[in-house]
Amino acid sequence: MYMTKRFKLLLFISAGFLLASCDKDFVKVNTNPYAANTVDPALLLAGAQRSHLGTWAAEHTIVQQFVSPYNTGATLGFNFNEDIDGISTPKWDQSYAGLANGNLPPVKNLVQAINILGNSTTRVNLLSMLRIWKAQVFMGLVDTYGDVPYFDAGKGISDLIFYPKYDDDAAIYDNIYAELKAAINAMNPSGDFVAADLFYGTNGHSTTRTSNAANQVAKWKKLGYSLMLRLGMRYSKINTTKAQSIVAEAFAGGVMTANSDNAFIKYDGTLYTQLDNATLRNFSQFNYAAEPFVNQLKSTNDPRGRFIVANFSNPGNVSSQPNPDTVLANQFGVPIGVTDGQITATGSPYRGARSGGLNYSQINVWTVGSPAAPDMYVTYAQTSLLLAEAAKRGWIPGGDATAKTYYEAAITADIAAYTLYPGTAAVPGAEVTAYINHPSVLYNPTDALKLINTQYWIANIRNGSEAFANFRRSSFPTLNPNLFNNKLNGGFVRRMSYPDAEASANTANYQAASTAIGGDKLTSRVFWDN
Amino acid sequence: MKVKFQPATKTGLIRLLFSLFFLILFTTANAQTVTGTVLDEEKNPVNGATVTVKGTNKATTTNAAGNFSIAAAGKDVLVISFVGFANLEVPLNGKTNLSVTLLRGETTMEEVVVTALGIKRASKKLGYSTTSVNSDELIKQRTINIGESLTGRVAGLNITPPAAGAGASNQIRLRGQVGFAGANNSPLLVVNGLPLDQGARGAEGGGQQRDRGDNLANINPDDIESITVLKGSTAAALYGSRAATGAIIITTKSGQKNQGIGVDFTSSYTTSHALNFMDEIVQTEYGQGQGGVKFTTAGQVQANGQWGWGAKLDGQPTINFDGQMRPYSAYPFQLFDFLQTGTNLTNTLGLSGGGANGSFRASISTTGAKGIVPSNEYKRRIFNVGINHNITSKLKLQLNINYADEDYINPPQIGTQGDGAVNFFNRMPISTPIEAYRNSAINAAGAEFKTNGFLGTVNNPYYALQKGQRYKEDRNRFLGTATLRYDLASWLYAQGRFNYDRGDNFAEWNTLNGTGAEVLVNNDGTYRGSYNLSQVTTTDINADFLIGSMHEFGKFSVDASVGGNTLRTEFRSPSQTATNFSGPDLYSIPNGTVKTQNFGFSRSRINSLYGLAEFGYNNMLYVNFTGRNDWFSVLNPDYNSKFYSSISGSFIFSELMKNVKWLQYGKLRTSWAEVGSIAGVGPYEGVLTYGYNQNPFNNQTLASVNGSNVPNPLLAPFKVTEKEIGLEMRMFKNRLMIDIAAFDKVTKDQIVDVVLSSASGYTGFKQNVASLKNSGIETLIEYKAVQGKNFKWTTSWNNAFLKTEVLDVGTPSGTRLLLYFNGTGNEFLGEIRYTEGLAMNQLYTRTYRRNAKGEIVVGNNGRLLESQGGPVGNGFFPVGSSIPKFTGGWNNTFSYKNFSLNVHFDYKFGGTVISSTLLNMTRQGHSKLSLVGRQDGLIFPAVYESTGLPNTTKITVAGNGLQTFYTDYRNLQIGDPFVFKSDFVKLRNISLAYDFYDLLKKSSFLKFVKGLSLSASCRNVAILYKDLPGLDPEAIQSSGDIRAGYENSSLPTTRNYNLTLNVKF
Repeated sequence: MYMTKRFKLLLFISAGFLLASCDKDFVKVNTNPYAANTVDPALLLAGAQRSHLGTWAAEHTIVQQFVSPYNTGATLGFNFNEDIDGISTPKWDQSYAGLANGNLPPVKNLVQAINILGNSTTRVNLLSMLRIWKAQVFMGLVDTYGDVPYFDAGKGISDLIFYPKYDDDAAIYDNIYAELKAAINAMNPSGDFVAADLFYGTNGHSTTRTSNAANQVAKWKKLGYSLMLRLGMRYSKINTTKAQSIVAEAFAGGVMTANSDNAFIKYDGTLYTQLDNATLRNFSQFNYAAEPFVNQLKSTNDPRGRFIVANFSNPGNVSSQPNPDTVLANQFGVPIGVTDGQITATGSPYRGARSGGLNYSQINVWTVGSPAAPDMYVTYAQTSLLLAEAAKRGWIPGGDATAKTYYEAAITADIAAYTLYPGTAAVPGAEVTAYINHPSVLYNPTDALKLINTQYWIANIRNGSEAFANFRRSSFPTLNPNLFNNKLNGGFVRRMSYPDAEASANTANYQAASTAIGGDKLTSRVFWDN
Repeated sequence: MKVKFQPATKTGLIRLLFSLFFLILFTTANAQTVTGTVLDEEKNPVNGATVTVKGTNKATTTNAAGNFSIAAAGKDVLVISFVGFANLEVPLNGKTNLSVTLLRGETTMEEVVVTALGIKRASKKLGYSTTSVNSDELIKQRTINIGESLTGRVAGLNITPPAAGAGASNQIRLRGQVGFAGANNSPLLVVNGLPLDQGARGAEGGGQQRDRGDNLANINPDDIESITVLKGSTAAALYGSRAATGAIIITTKSGQKNQGIGVDFTSSYTTSHALNFMDEIVQTEYGQGQGGVKFTTAGQVQANGQWGWGAKLDGQPTINFDGQMRPYSAYPFQLFDFLQTGTNLTNTLGLSGGGANGSFRASISTTGAKGIVPSNEYKRRIFNVGINHNITSKLKLQLNINYADEDYINPPQIGTQGDGAVNFFNRMPISTPIEAYRNSAINAAGAEFKTNGFLGTVNNPYYALQKGQRYKEDRNRFLGTATLRYDLASWLYAQGRFNYDRGDNFAEWNTLNGTGAEVLVNNDGTYRGSYNLSQVTTTDINADFLIGSMHEFGKFSVDASVGGNTLRTEFRSPSQTATNFSGPDLYSIPNGTVKTQNFGFSRSRINSLYGLAEFGYNNMLYVNFTGRNDWFSVLNPDYNSKFYSSISGSFIFSELMKNVKWLQYGKLRTSWAEVGSIAGVGPYEGVLTYGYNQNPFNNQTLASVNGSNVPNPLLAPFKVTEKEIGLEMRMFKNRLMIDIAAFDKVTKDQIVDVVLSSASGYTGFKQNVASLKNSGIETLIEYKAVQGKNFKWTTSWNNAFLKTEVLDVGTPSGTRLLLYFNGTGNEFLGEIRYTEGLAMNQLYTRTYRRNAKGEIVVGNNGRLLESQGGPVGNGFFPVGSSIPKFTGGWNNTFSYKNFSLNVHFDYKFGGTVISSTLLNMTRQGHSKLSLVGRQDGLIFPAVYESTGLPNTTKITVAGNGLQTFYTDYRNLQIGDPFVFKSDFVKLRNISLAYDFYDLLKKSSFLKFVKGLSLSASCRNVAILYKDLPGLDPEAIQSSGDIRAGYENSSLPTTRNYNLTLNVKF
């Protein structure tokens, strides 16, 4: 408009000197006196260590340890082979950006901490820990979704990358391998001690904490090599040469050798709780142990069974029953792919209803299912089982005899680790021995891979990501596909789908990635699963 | 990134305006005090007539005795005007005392309007649309919050009072929404020159979901002298960024000069009764159960009691959740048995006085209201003082203080799952009598007795009631304005003003240890529940100055002002939460073993310079320019300045048509204005910070990058540009008045939260990306249909047509998702989106899947299939906008002698609403819709997708087949049966008043009584038309925009009966 243009011109000419004073002090006014403008990156590492491990409703359901047989509402999910965004999304969101579940998003904070450190040479151990933990987080993301944003991820602030491209899953794995190797090699036993480290730092658990750089670096190297071993084993289906080479390298580097090497987080159940377990209490009538898992525990008289499953007289109100029946013989798991309607229907072949729920066993909310349960990220038991398989396959020396040793050591260590859970007691040695010698458990060369990987399944009862990945890799334990509908073509869930929000916010990159992996479907496969 | 930086806009105004002053170099003769009396034809004094010195801004009003006093020179001309009388011009010719008689009925064209910055202007000079509201009428039809009384009264002002308990907020929108839902879209409130946001604390999803009123509730309706609605951006251009949404100017009373001492007292009592439309949707044939059978054990009921898929009601004793046997019969509408009659008693006592040098009024009012939900109360005390004082003949002081103390006690939880009573009763079967819930609310452990498998999200409200769940908010608000005005010359004045607005709000609430759970204790042995408290202190300081001048020379007049303003805000909010209690049933901070403390803090500033200039010719043509520059502290210094301007004009064409008998007044007006705004940008948002975890984790401090948004240092204010044209005419001896306005308002570079890929580490980013348009036509027609000696009938109709359009959303796909309702965990159906080319606030749902022939298809199992693809790619299709296209009201005032009767209808058309209540009632087996197939099975009328042949698969209730079928509506997000129009026509209000003053005058005994009137009214008398079943379509739960088209567990609206007595001494 002509008039206003002339108006503005006039004003522009006349008002220059006033400008300086009209926004005086504004920078100071707009600085929050109660927020930190800088941070010690070690505290960002500590915040990021509680990364996402999988949930009951997702991975544990896919590997048939847990089911929710109600298909009439919000709980509908993998037990009915449905692709529900709310179940697939948490791992993604809580790894990259989300604040849910009481966790601080690791990718965002790890990337920022690495940026802050830059080329710091004085804190090389902290930098290595950040890199190793970032590798762990991204292994979990690739294993769960396939191609994911990696090279550009977490760079919203540092590089203004708001819509990161997705990287090829195999390429990410190659880079993770390189990162692990470089980070481990960069560590310096006489360098910086990272007190804030939640695993092995000053405030780590009494069984794992260290007080100087040399001991801490030793633990982190074991953790790094154990992750490298895990990574190497992932190639077993597609490239045995590569698998063997990485496994041998990790083994030579030195992996975890005792439970005191375990990377885990203990919760106090009050101030900080293992939140996924809270879902077992709220609406407990929806949540049950799955038949294949219960049958495995029962048929082998597994001493861990009493800590994992329990029979509550009222399944609808588990939290008011502190002493449920944990006798293994009395435990029954809900069959896979069956609805509560079928279970309770008149003349049903199933066990029907009981009090406020179904007549089946549930996860024991006083032990494994407790809010005070630990999160086990990388353990000696897992590592030892992987070594057992590597020995069996001849990728490390020793053959069956060594495999058996690793196998039994793993079982012993895993059972011993249950003392970390509330409401448990040490299992007597005789019972452990009896279990190891149970005909269905005892190592034998013929069934070695099945036995080892079935134990891996049990050992990862609270690490769904790892249980799910190893099941796809090894095809063990032997589970029957859930045939509830025909959506999986008679197979298993091979990956979880990307969040719907990615499709709408990061459309082009999402579409490219979907095409690259053969469609954003539950049946598409991660590269090492082909 | 669309950030434009224009150096040309970074300018001030002051020099221009100084130069304007140099244009006006005239002196004036010495002024003296002129006194006088204004009488009507019957020689009764005229109270409240405006006396102005022609050609100046000096004005006063007459008191009850008709007296006035004003400074004027001997050669001046006085203009005397009053509504319903012809204007009178009286040349003084040296006189200092005069008595004038006004003649009835001619014109009201000299109506004076309070415009921006408190500047009073003759309405004829304005080039934009304003509407003044008759405050007497609002008082007769009183509501706790004055906003609610404004419903349907002003064309273009769209007010929706949510059904949210006593003292709830209103949704107030003027000429549509300036920004997308989520932005602050309410007009600015200006109370005696003090600008404040509406600040609606509605239940906008998440959190407490309790409506805790708005800032309009701080004003006592009895204190209001005038309300002017400045509709367009032109009017608001001078208020700057905060008024991008228009402004509502409220002036409170401050007495009148020379009136002596007077007392006025008003007492008002209201009862509220919930309106029940549930018979339109509730089925009363089948009871609790699943698969067509009843439950047989209490455990089954506790696990699945939410389902109404049981047997046909037979009246037989049947097990309930508490193990008792009760007849299996229909006990419908239990919500209405739970609710109570709401009441409200308001008393106002005012004392006013006026002498030769000033006037005052002080009032105190108390309100005590009980909501329709048991335990909900609202209490309010307002203390208001207005003082006008002429310190000297040239120096005037005006002081206004308003202090409001409000208590919100247990505002109902609405629109949410959990503790709300509406959610509970809508989602429980009708076959359990309410006594069961009342008598067995508490279990043996002392926790909530489990009534259903959704315990935690469907909770028995009697538990909270019986165990004393509480929420209390104590709000204290001080609004103070002091204005000093000095008349430097008859044509020049300077004014300084200081506004102080301080809010001190204390809130505390608890969650009971046994709510939503069957046990009182946590795993660690501590008691469940939580106790929260928060203290919010807000301080807004506005200081401004204004230098104004006016002069007439010959046929020309100039009126120019220049001013500046600084707004300084500070927000402080310490809060604490305690959980895991050591002892039972004690909700306190020390009793908690886990505590969370927080301290919220922010401060911001906006500095502004502005000016305006008006040029007039021959009382016929006026052109008005304004300009304003704002500087914002919350923005990067490189982008923190914004200049905007307006131009408007009015042409009183009737001045050229004085010989046309039927036309008394005709005015054509037009305007163009732009306003900048930073709505949506908070302090510190552009700065990266880190935060530490509240409590150490295993003794270790943890840290994280703060916030989930990437700070954007390039944000700039967005711009609203409005064009308006209007026509105003008074005809046929002023009996017919029409006012038509057409406007077109474009918002550019709106600041929106851009959703990022969470893989970036962040979920959002604020950016200047969106553009949108509101355009419309507003009409007001008033006709004095009957003007007899005793009987009068005035009828008026206001209507607004609003068209909203999304121009740009800044995404390649042309659509932007605001909220996927089902993703919140608390809501169930649909999306709200902004899509280019469509109306704003567009609701989307999936629909039935159809084949190429348009037939609905089902799977081979006879179950529903959802639509796929579509404009968004996920199968969701637009089903309509939540914003009504037509809003308006028809108001009729009848008076017969001392009776007056007001009948007010209003309506809204063209909006859409999704009923989540009906969806949930259907999937849970409680709605009439869920009866289809109950008896003989359902063969859904469709064809098989695979073959195209008619569906023959029968789905029966047995084995949960039918339940699963109806659950698919939610799981697949098929909205077809749950989308309605929010249209309605209401007989909004009837009020009848009787003025006893004439009777009193006849009694010498009662002479000391100056006025007495009694009025009775009924609000929400009847809904004459609606589309949404089961509810009043106005029963939305939020005063925000996001859920305006999403109905979920809404509290019913009420019909209110009111009786008001007003006495003046």
